[in-house]
Amino acid sequence: MAHEEAVEVKKRIREIALKIKRDMEMGRFPKIRYPPNTSGNIEFSEEEGYVFSPRVYSEIRGSRLKSLKTLAGILYGMDKALDHLENGLTMTKRDFYYIHKIERLKGTLFPKDQRETDSRIVLMELVLGLPREAISITSDPRGWIYGDIELTDRSGRTIRADQVGEMGYSVPPRPENIKFGRIGVKAVVAVEKVGPAKNMIELGIPEEHGIAVAILKGQASRSMRRFLRMLSDKGVPVAILTDLSPWSIRIAATVVYNSISSAHIPGLAAPEARFIGITTGDVETGFFSDYRFALEPLTQMDLKAAQDNMRLPNLQHPFWQEENRWFLEKKKKAELEIFKAMSPSARELKGLFVEYLRQKLDENLGIAI
Amino acid sequence: MAEREVQLEQISAADFFYRNKALAGFDNPVRATYTIVRELVENALDACELARRPPRITVFMTRSEERVDGRGTIYRLTVSDNGIGLDPSDVPAAFGKVFVSSKYRLMQSRGTFGLGGTMALLYGQITTNMPFKVTTARDGGPVEEFEMKIDIKRNEPIVLKRRRLADACDESFTRVEMHFEGSYGKARRKIVEYLRQTAIVTPYADMLFVDPDGVPYLFVRSTDVIPPLPREAKFHPKGVDLEILMRLISTTKTRTLVTFLTTHFQRVGSKTAREVVRLAGLDPIKRPRNLTDEEIRALFRALRSYPRFLPPDASILSPLSPELLEEGIKKELRPEFVKAVQRPPSVFEAHPFIVETALAYGGELRPTGEIQLYRFANRIPLLYDVSSDVSYAVARRIDWGNYGLRSLEEEPVALFVHIVSTKIPFKTVGKEFIANKPEIAREIELGLRICARELKSFLHRKRRAEMARARYEAFARYYELISEVVEDLTGERPPVEKILSKVRPPAGVKKNGS
Repeated sequence: MAHEEAVEVKKRIREIALKIKRDMEMGRFPKIRYPPNTSGNIEFSEEEGYVFSPRVYSEIRGSRLKSLKTLAGILYGMDKALDHLENGLTMTKRDFYYIHKIERLKGTLFPKDQRETDSRIVLMELVLGLPREAISITSDPRGWIYGDIELTDRSGRTIRADQVGEMGYSVPPRPENIKFGRIGVKAVVAVEKVGPAKNMIELGIPEEHGIAVAILKGQASRSMRRFLRMLSDKGVPVAILTDLSPWSIRIAATVVYNSISSAHIPGLAAPEARFIGITTGDVETGFFSDYRFALEPLTQMDLKAAQDNMRLPNLQHPFWQEENRWFLEKKKKAELEIFKAMSPSARELKGLFVEYLRQKLDENLGIAI
Repeated sequence: MAEREVQLEQISAADFFYRNKALAGFDNPVRATYTIVRELVENALDACELARRPPRITVFMTRSEERVDGRGTIYRLTVSDNGIGLDPSDVPAAFGKVFVSSKYRLMQSRGTFGLGGTMALLYGQITTNMPFKVTTARDGGPVEEFEMKIDIKRNEPIVLKRRRLADACDESFTRVEMHFEGSYGKARRKIVEYLRQTAIVTPYADMLFVDPDGVPYLFVRSTDVIPPLPREAKFHPKGVDLEILMRLISTTKTRTLVTFLTTHFQRVGSKTAREVVRLAGLDPIKRPRNLTDEEIRALFRALRSYPRFLPPDASILSPLSPELLEEGIKKELRPEFVKAVQRPPSVFEAHPFIVETALAYGGELRPTGEIQLYRFANRIPLLYDVSSDVSYAVARRIDWGNYGLRSLEEEPVALFVHIVSTKIPFKTVGKEFIANKPEIAREIELGLRICARELKSFLHRKRRAEMARARYEAFARYYELISEVVEDLTGERPPVEKILSKVRPPAGVKKNGS
């Protein structure tokens, strides 16, 4: 399985190398054509989120010095990535940076800082049309899922995601190969913050109400987004629960629509997923309307983010626009920890969580728990 | 009366020097060591130029066993030249008598002609009480050796021994051997630097110096071309001071004021002479020697204020020529670039002068953190007080950034300024730096700017070529790397030569002047 993948990646990389070899033998300056991830090549729709549809192409040309460095850089990067892939090794972006910090590359690719090699990773993705994970460059894994979901991953073991420790199953960097078995949950609730998510698990809510809890820990990682999309494709409804803040609606929107910076990586958007809260309605007239005293003020940075949000393509829907305008008007935000302000005692907290989730899952996904 | 004054001055000259050593550069043992070498070398060079031969000068300095009262070190110095030599009968007067400078003549000369050499001998005698030796031959004449002292009180030579070494000699030469108390250790740097700079401004001279430690310093000539001798000329009427005017009047053989003026001055015809005399309110046919002091002053004022004299004749000056200056710089400093120019003659205070400037860059030159300014006056290097010199002031005020240089201190660049004149306006009696005369400063600046423009375009070409080379080398490095990686991926190593042939750098920068 992993081997087949490596064969395909190797074929693509070899093709590029052969073309460059031919050009050099002919005395022609080699060049590589690729679709850049510029706005002209990215489309947006509510149905699919960000979609990479190349119309414009760029060339990395061996006739210009700056471009030549890029050419040598991606070729060297692909060679090393392939070496890792064939030997079953992964590397982080930091590792990738360090494989450039070698004597042989002084005067050529020896990097000034990691930004140099990071941007080349994106270029490699664009040239190969593959996510960096496909060529063994992975992020530190981030994101867990807890609930009655059976799956088999690269390790070959079959796992139930509510039987592998208190945080659940840690989503691996490259979840593509995961095969799902029996899925015993009615929905997945993806929670931005670790604290409230862990509380839900600790209170036994997944088991009692047949849901899974996904812990995003901030912005959802690529692997987590891919994993949620896979669950969504399996027919599992996905709900997203975040703070009510200018940053959090971006987090929610990224799970639903993907982001511009990774628009060229397919399969990261989960358009069927639904944002369930915290919404401005919850604060103004709904669940938290009696607890407005627990709101936090927006910082300058928050306000700036809210202003920028007005222009983001994936936040143009009237719903998001309305939500975002609220920040600009009220200059407030609500955090998931507001549940603690409502219920200092553990017993009450569980009731509040369940009541909120029941209401919201029903409203947004038509699911009764 | 006036005749008598001149006489008195001559008699006291040796004594005068004895009492005023500092004025002539003998104020301490280190400075004296340097000055002695310098004076004898300059005399030797002058003798050779009179002979119109490329100079061949040897300077040997050894520590002598002799000590005076166990004080400083005694050195023996021998300086030989292949110059015109002397008729033996002239030797005692030429070396054993201190002359007041030959001020009746107006001529570009290295120093106060001949005087400095005698002062050096005198200093040796004062500090060691030892005689000096002169050996010379002229034009196939006999070779004679004199052992002499100077009678300081009477300013007379004392010949202790005179020997005929040969009845005839094929060559002319002079060799002076003397002892003096000095300090070579601290003078070494200055002496060697003096010789090196002399070699720059005298590229047609061979010079060998062997110092007391036995270290040889050899300066080999790179050309046979000798610049023409400066010619003597009469004074320009605006260039005389009252002292000279009185002396001319006291010695003239002319019988009327008008003929006195037309005979002893340049640019004065009889019409001009009459106008000057009328301006002075004097009788044109008055006998010059009968003028009263008051009348002499009136004549002097008239010479100063008369507005229609032609500018002084500069054709008597003998600059080095840009070619020779470049030659000297190249052979001693081996720069990558050198450019010298000669400015047209100009005048300050009725003295004609010519400025020659040069700039050298790169090669074996290194930045020193200081302005590297070489100054020459009438073909002698000036080594002291650089920061007080007019050339230094000019160098500082030029905006070198406009010529592609960051700063003179941080770049491998050297400046050269050579001034020739019948009167170099030295600022002090030490004769080490030149006063900031606006006329001279202007010519130095224009000269340096011309050189700088040349340097700018050289640097531009050089930097462009360097950029092209750097670009080519970068291409080579990247394609080598690509070739290696492609081999790793495909098993075959593509050649880099074909592709690199498409990024050949332009031909290397042309070295200037070679």
